[in-house]
Amino acid sequence: MRIISCVALAAAIALHSGAANSQGKSAPKDAKLYFITPHDGQKVRGGFWVRFGLRNMGVTHAGDEYQNAGHHHLLVDVNEPIDSKEPIPQDKSHLHFGAGQTETLLELPPGTHTLQLVLGDAKHYPFEPPVVSDKITVRVRPPASARK
Amino acid sequence: MGEIRNFKSGDQDGPPPHGLMPRRLAAIIVGDIASYSRMMQADEEGTHVRVKRIERDLIQPSIVEHHGALVKTTGDGFIAIFDSPVEAVRCSIVIQQNLIGRNASLPKHSRLEYRIGVNLGDVIVEPDDVYGDGVNIATRIEGIAEPGQVYISGAIYEQIKHKVVCGYESLGDRKVKNITDPVRVYRVLPDADAVGKTRSRRENALIFLLAITVMMMAAGVLWYLLAQPGRMGEQAAVPAASPAASPAASPSPRPLPSEAATQTPQPSPSLASSPSPPAPSPSAAPPPEPEMIAIRGGSFAMGSNDDPTERPVHQVTIKPFSIGKYPVTVREWNECAAAKGCAFTAIGKDNAPVSNVSWADAQQYVVWLAQAAKKPYRLPTEAEWEYAARGGTQSKYWWGDKLQPGMAGCKDCGDLAAEQPAKVGSFKPNQFGLYDMGGGIDQWVEDCWHRTYQGAPSDGSAWTGSDCSSHVLRSGSWKNDSRYVRPSNRDGYDTNVRYPTHGFRVALSL
Repeated sequence: MRIISCVALAAAIALHSGAANSQGKSAPKDAKLYFITPHDGQKVRGGFWVRFGLRNMGVTHAGDEYQNAGHHHLLVDVNEPIDSKEPIPQDKSHLHFGAGQTETLLELPPGTHTLQLVLGDAKHYPFEPPVVSDKITVRVRPPASARK
Repeated sequence: MGEIRNFKSGDQDGPPPHGLMPRRLAAIIVGDIASYSRMMQADEEGTHVRVKRIERDLIQPSIVEHHGALVKTTGDGFIAIFDSPVEAVRCSIVIQQNLIGRNASLPKHSRLEYRIGVNLGDVIVEPDDVYGDGVNIATRIEGIAEPGQVYISGAIYEQIKHKVVCGYESLGDRKVKNITDPVRVYRVLPDADAVGKTRSRRENALIFLLAITVMMMAAGVLWYLLAQPGRMGEQAAVPAASPAASPAASPSPRPLPSEAATQTPQPSPSLASSPSPPAPSPSAAPPPEPEMIAIRGGSFAMGSNDDPTERPVHQVTIKPFSIGKYPVTVREWNECAAAKGCAFTAIGKDNAPVSNVSWADAQQYVVWLAQAAKKPYRLPTEAEWEYAARGGTQSKYWWGDKLQPGMAGCKDCGDLAAEQPAKVGSFKPNQFGLYDMGGGIDQWVEDCWHRTYQGAPSDGSAWTGSDCSSHVLRSGSWKNDSRYVRPSNRDGYDTNVRYPTHGFRVALSL
């Protein structure tokens, strides 16, 4: 009987969490989102790896309603402020990592670009208060082959 | 920001530059048969057959049911990866408890028992293998597990302790071979109250094992019904229907000129009228099918030079097919949900496009619809979608090169406020009579995401691949700006992730 109740409970919780509204989920005060690489002001050439760091929270799959866990979003050259009442937009400057990825290979056109990380909850809403990284700048040099 | 190219981790389109492999966070299961060598010595062929049968009947389906991926099987074991630690542990428990049932009637020396270790770690994923510390630790944890048990690492425990309602017995920090830091290990006890009691029960005989078997079967069924109402498989209750009884919903016979290249848009007088799919029929009848438009085959230049993802422009030949006149609506989706073919019930107005669906969800719908309607419904291919969206034109938008109000729903498309579409078909149809091919709701297509058209097929078929962690989205949504409304615009998104602006339409081969 215990096993059945265990399983039934697990099922009930799974169902319940699916229905819960996730807007404005609170994040621990000491949560810290940051870039492992590149560092602010770094010069890069061609494609470069961006690695996401997160302390005092966990990374999970989008859709999973775990406490103190979320998934990464990488904002490239985004100047609009983050709207905590709306899901983080999905377009070519708001890259989503809903499968729990913790890094990506970016290829940007030559020039100066800004990068910023925003942690999203199960339904892609920013946390309350938002868990965001510092906005960093990278300078992308033209590919070596283009300079001859 | 049209210039950004995003290489999703785990994507396998071409070798990544700089010799770097795609890394990702994954829950790793390593399973291994205890005393395999002894059993092989006793009965080599018999053991081999039994192991293969267990892999085929139990291990592989359990992994798929829990949204995992079998990386490889070795002679006496397997490795699988999961996005979710909870699913990984649930899967391990299901495998172990099924094996209890299978072993119950066998003498002790011929029982096949697995040790299972689960760890969470950053790994390098290749098509047929997975590497990294995370895998090594999972293997070591598996090595110290007792036969029939699931041992998990501290990293997994932290993720699941409040989710999987079972008991966990801490075994403390264990030093494992070739790993510098000690690893905290927990034993999973499917029964939360069993902590500390398992050993004394071990001698309890067959009756107890049989009882557990029966309970687990019942629990498994209960779990399946409660927690995963949307899994397709055998429970997609297909209404028993006579195939001849569905003339009302067959594809529209209206032939449409597809080769007429620069036709001007024909503003349809009926554009304001709401779409009228057939009324819901009694449960025994076939489901109302989405209204379809037949598209004649042809050849066209796919892609554009407006964005790196749309290059190179290449000639593609399309076979005749038909495609949904509108995106799939909430009403249509909920027919599937009601029949337990789709994972969730959509909220919203009946005629609104269904949203917040992942590519996997969209697949469930087309699989259900194909079974229920007995027609080969599927998602359109990316080439079919663009061909249909262009309506025979090669201009920037299907209606010309300049933005015009009333043509598409997007953030800066014109007078109509950019809001979540309240119903499909609110804007003008294109030359082929199709609504919402651009703007409104993003639409999944069949193809895997590739970041350019380098190497794309030219026969209009879907461009799939071995590893398909993300798929292609078309159309753009009400939240995007007008660049996304272009028929050539494309983007990729994780296959199993839902997002509020994502929907789809169906297609049918002719």
